[in-house]
Amino acid sequence: MPQFSLYEEAFHPSPWHRTWVAFRESHIAIVGLFVLAIFVIFSLFAPLLTPYDPIAQNIDGLLIPPSWQPNGSISYLFGTDALGRDLFSRIMYGCRVTLGSGFLMVVLAMLIGVSIGTFAGMLRGVRSSIVNHLLDALMAIPTLLIAIIIVAILGTGLVNSMWAITLALIPQFVHRTRSFVRAEMKKEYILASRLDGANKWQLFVHSILPNMTEMLVVQGTLALSVAVIDISALGFLNLGAQSPLPELGAILADGLDVTYLAPWNVALPGLTIFLLVLSINIVGDGLRSALRKRVSH
Amino acid sequence: MIRILSRYSILFILTLLVLAILSFALAYLFPGDVLQNLTGIVPANEIQREALMRQYRLDQPIVFQFVHYLGNLLQGDWGYSSASGLSLREEIGIALPATIELSTYAILMAMFIGIPLGYYAGIRSYSTSDHAINALSITTYSIPVYWFALILILIFSLNLEVAPISGRISLLFDIEPVTGFILIDILLAEGIDRGVALRDAFSHLVIPTFAIGAITTASMVRITRRSVIDVKHRAYIAAARSRGLSGWRIFSQHVLRNALLPILPLMVIQITTLITNAMIVETLFSWPGIGSWLIQAIYQRDYPALRVGMLAVSTLVISLTILIDLFNRIIDPSREKYERASV
Repeated sequence: MPQFSLYEEAFHPSPWHRTWVAFRESHIAIVGLFVLAIFVIFSLFAPLLTPYDPIAQNIDGLLIPPSWQPNGSISYLFGTDALGRDLFSRIMYGCRVTLGSGFLMVVLAMLIGVSIGTFAGMLRGVRSSIVNHLLDALMAIPTLLIAIIIVAILGTGLVNSMWAITLALIPQFVHRTRSFVRAEMKKEYILASRLDGANKWQLFVHSILPNMTEMLVVQGTLALSVAVIDISALGFLNLGAQSPLPELGAILADGLDVTYLAPWNVALPGLTIFLLVLSINIVGDGLRSALRKRVSH
Repeated sequence: MIRILSRYSILFILTLLVLAILSFALAYLFPGDVLQNLTGIVPANEIQREALMRQYRLDQPIVFQFVHYLGNLLQGDWGYSSASGLSLREEIGIALPATIELSTYAILMAMFIGIPLGYYAGIRSYSTSDHAINALSITTYSIPVYWFALILILIFSLNLEVAPISGRISLLFDIEPVTGFILIDILLAEGIDRGVALRDAFSHLVIPTFAIGAITTASMVRITRRSVIDVKHRAYIAAARSRGLSGWRIFSQHVLRNALLPILPLMVIQITTLITNAMIVETLFSWPGIGSWLIQAIYQRDYPALRVGMLAVSTLVISLTILIDLFNRIIDPSREKYERASV
């Protein structure tokens, strides 16, 4: 018998840890994660970090250019808008509103979507066919159309547009969960649990759900980027968040009136949305390829 | 084959029925009077109101109301816009083709630029050029479409003044809408300088098409690249390589066609994003399409227009989806029933 065993000393990383190791190898993904972390810190601690009240108007300081321009002042980092509101504070609060509502929508859509998807995935026969096809058809209706209908029924507002986008996000979760549950139900470890007498609920909670979390995280990041783009688009079209509320799309729409005089009022909120979505997409992409690497090795 | 066809036609009819029920329910869900929401006619007095109620069977049980509504829809009586008073069918007949035209050019752009780029990136996977293409596509994919359109307007319309800001064609040209597609209508029109008109329409088209098309192209590149990489790792490619086939032959005989198969169902998912983007961009460019029409309708609280507009757009999108799905099913029988690939 050897004096020491190499295999016993070997460190067995958990699946999540292995994913993280694979994720860390991509520098771009780490940069994306870093940028996303900054946005999350902005949105969590916006009241502590912002220098001014985002809706306080200042008549003495209308349309001050951003600080890097010759006429700018360092006390207004990103300048001010047509009502003298500090753009930096507004954008920071905008991240809070946009990212926060996006996160809420994704969690809600995920909860509903996974429940329906599991239900549909475990169904058999004609009922399953009808449910699946109807869900497929619903998936095809454009988000903006659902939003327009909901806004027409309930009226404009951030919460109403959030309902619309949640509704539009649900089908993709249903879809992924359904095909995942269908594929897993055919595997042998499920058969083993079934032979042990597990009912459908136990099968789902103890066997399928642990295997599904990673897929859900990746799908969730993708949905988050879509949610952020959609909620800001609705804000931009005046169908979502209404004017004094600092929402990135609504800030952009406000700035549109003074594009000629103060182009930074359009450029900076747009750039923020772009960076936010880009960082979410990069992190999501990195996660996905990390998972793919882990599974293939 | 016949089974598949009948299955899909039943699905299609069922879905349309659900949509019709939904649009009928909207008349009750929208704020305001059901009669006005359903017909768009504002009755002048009680007697006319009674007559209209009877004409649209609103005094009968709800099932009869719906059957009558369905009959009206099929006969082409879609009601009247409460804002302009015009027939909704005519308004949509002009607005919907404009959107279809814009989306078609964007899809063509995505297909002719996105798919070759995706193939190139997929074949050279994990090389510098692949990373460059991938980075470019993820960046383009992340740009909010309305901001992108604004930047394009700023650069090309205001600074360089190479393209007009809004509309489909200069008002100097009087083009009779026959098909609704501006380029075809110009070719059909009489008594105008077709070359000048075409050039003018083209300059109006370029920026909106590019704004929508760039984002669609980016996702097309990503889908194609993924699909090519997946195919490259299949056993039959290894078998072909072990038989000593050249790289070009492996690509043209094995990779090219097999990688195309999963792209098609993913295009279905792209359609909804594409239509949403097209609708947003239309409002920015005052493009007279269904998107700006619907958004105008909601600003003006034109509920009959919203009801029919929703039905028209979702019918269009769902017919396209089901058609592509059916086509995909026919050319690829090995595909599992509910399976859809992921991006």
